[in-house]
Amino acid sequence: MSEAGAIPKAERTIVLPKRLRAAEVAALLGEIHGRQGGLALDFREVEEFDSATLALLGHAAQDLPGVTVVNVPEALVRAGAGFAKSPSDLWPARPAVPATGTRAGRFVRALADRFLARTRVAASFLSMLADEAYHVGVYLKTRKGVYPGEIGNQMFFMGYGSYPIVCVLLFLVGVTISFAASDPLQSFGASTYIADIIGYAMLRELVPLMAGVILAGKIGAAITAELASMTVLEEVDALKTMGVVPERFLMVPRLAAITAVVPLLVGLADVCGIAGGMVVSGIKYGTMPKEFLDQMVNTVAWDDFAWGLVKTIVFGWTIVISAGYKGLTVGRSAEEVGRATTESVVLSITLVIVIDCLFAFVLY
Amino acid sequence: MDIIRADRLTIGYGGEVVLRDLSFAVPAGLITVVLGISGSGKSTLLKSLAGLLPPLGGRYEFSGAPVDYGSERSLQSLYSRIGVLYQGGALLNGLSLYENVALPVRMHYPEIPENMVRDMVHAGLAQVELAGSADKYPAELSGGMRKRGALARALVLDPDIVFCDEPSSGLDPITSSLLDDLLIRLKETFGMTLVVVTHELRSIERVADRVLVLNDGGLRFDGDAAALAASDDGFIRTFFLRKGDHDDA
Repeated sequence: MSEAGAIPKAERTIVLPKRLRAAEVAALLGEIHGRQGGLALDFREVEEFDSATLALLGHAAQDLPGVTVVNVPEALVRAGAGFAKSPSDLWPARPAVPATGTRAGRFVRALADRFLARTRVAASFLSMLADEAYHVGVYLKTRKGVYPGEIGNQMFFMGYGSYPIVCVLLFLVGVTISFAASDPLQSFGASTYIADIIGYAMLRELVPLMAGVILAGKIGAAITAELASMTVLEEVDALKTMGVVPERFLMVPRLAAITAVVPLLVGLADVCGIAGGMVVSGIKYGTMPKEFLDQMVNTVAWDDFAWGLVKTIVFGWTIVISAGYKGLTVGRSAEEVGRATTESVVLSITLVIVIDCLFAFVLY
Repeated sequence: MDIIRADRLTIGYGGEVVLRDLSFAVPAGLITVVLGISGSGKSTLLKSLAGLLPPLGGRYEFSGAPVDYGSERSLQSLYSRIGVLYQGGALLNGLSLYENVALPVRMHYPEIPENMVRDMVHAGLAQVELAGSADKYPAELSGGMRKRGALARALVLDPDIVFCDEPSSGLDPITSSLLDDLLIRLKETFGMTLVVVTHELRSIERVADRVLVLNDGGLRFDGDAAALAASDDGFIRTFFLRKGDHDDA
């Protein structure tokens, strides 16, 4: 920093204004960067300043060649004494870890690390799956470890919140599938088979899959958000130190509730999906409801409904356990609650589709 | 008699050491205050003593028996004898204050009839002067009421020791002082042992019988409140006099 009046090699001097805060500093920086030749910044009139002014002082001395500062008031010098001049003051550089091995070797090692990390997560998820099976067993045997009335609360939350949307969406799916199938069937002169297609597709595939996806988005996300918030707010720790097992206290009611809620959900969704197909069939071909249903029962059987129900229950358990896993393994910040919720929905939907595919190998 | 004995206890997260080689004892029937600046590991120590964070090394004895963090039986035995007051209260938001306080009773002793549970809960709430707020949910309570409610929950099964994590944090001086009174009353009336983590000087002066001071990942001071006041340790004097003249804090 130059002494008052001494301006070495500067071709131009800017006398800075009385008020030199962030806005004025920003404007000044444009002028500094657009300059040609040496420049002196004269601080003699500066009275109002802030951290941007101090940063300017530091940068002018270090990072702006050809720029000098002069007549810096004592107050500014004092304020700048404890001011970090560069990011390295705040974040000292960590000693660099020397790279070892060839580039290909490092790439393979990085891949292996990622694979191991994913394997650990998968193992932890499977461990929770096994734990939950154990906790359900213990609860069924002892009837202890779950808060009285909590299963009913969860049933109400899951059923009341899910039935309307599942019914409406499955009705619309029935309508869409019916429209999509009608033209190809008509071209083969097989319009009467629309009822068979709708019935079979709804009971076996579309209702379980759509219900799974909707439950993942609605119930799975809600469970993760709730459990993750409880984890962040130390409520889960509080349960532990009260001698309550959180994995049983929080998860068993939800698993029981989803098991109880799904049969009615599947039944309603089947009815709504078939009704959607029946409406389109009536509009396009003038098929009467009785005629449609008679045709449908020729093809579909009770085991189609039963398999659809079994699949949806398995999807429900998968969703609850995925949601619980993400909620109970969240970190300690509020930001992670949102991230865990998103990850839970993605994980649930992925697992629902994978399990559906495995069912296809068994059933067809 | 010491209720807690720690021998060369090393505590941390995922291999990263926060506190190293702590050896101390917590005498029964007294209030032991754990003191230190923010980030000194006070809450981490409390978590470990409450059985939530396995130590990386050393030995922890509770009532003369070693605590085995790998054994569910050992941890359940510890949990059945402690109460914890968390920093934010940690009342379950989905349950009313009454249900929160009743929770430990209902979970551990489902055979106790509901009318007896009611009496136990009301006695607990009266003890913390919240008898009129039993039906309120945590969201309807002030910060101080939430903490007192959480204290009632921690006390409802008459634990041998209560761990309090920064009971005064976020409270105004009057509410904070009332909470301190409550802790003193618990000690004097019921002979309860308390471990209180705090950095509130006013609280320390009022409630502390013994003090553990944490600094730089270790135990800086272990003694009674009078010895702490007379200490010529630079860090401790700085802490109490709020002067920045020590060189190693």
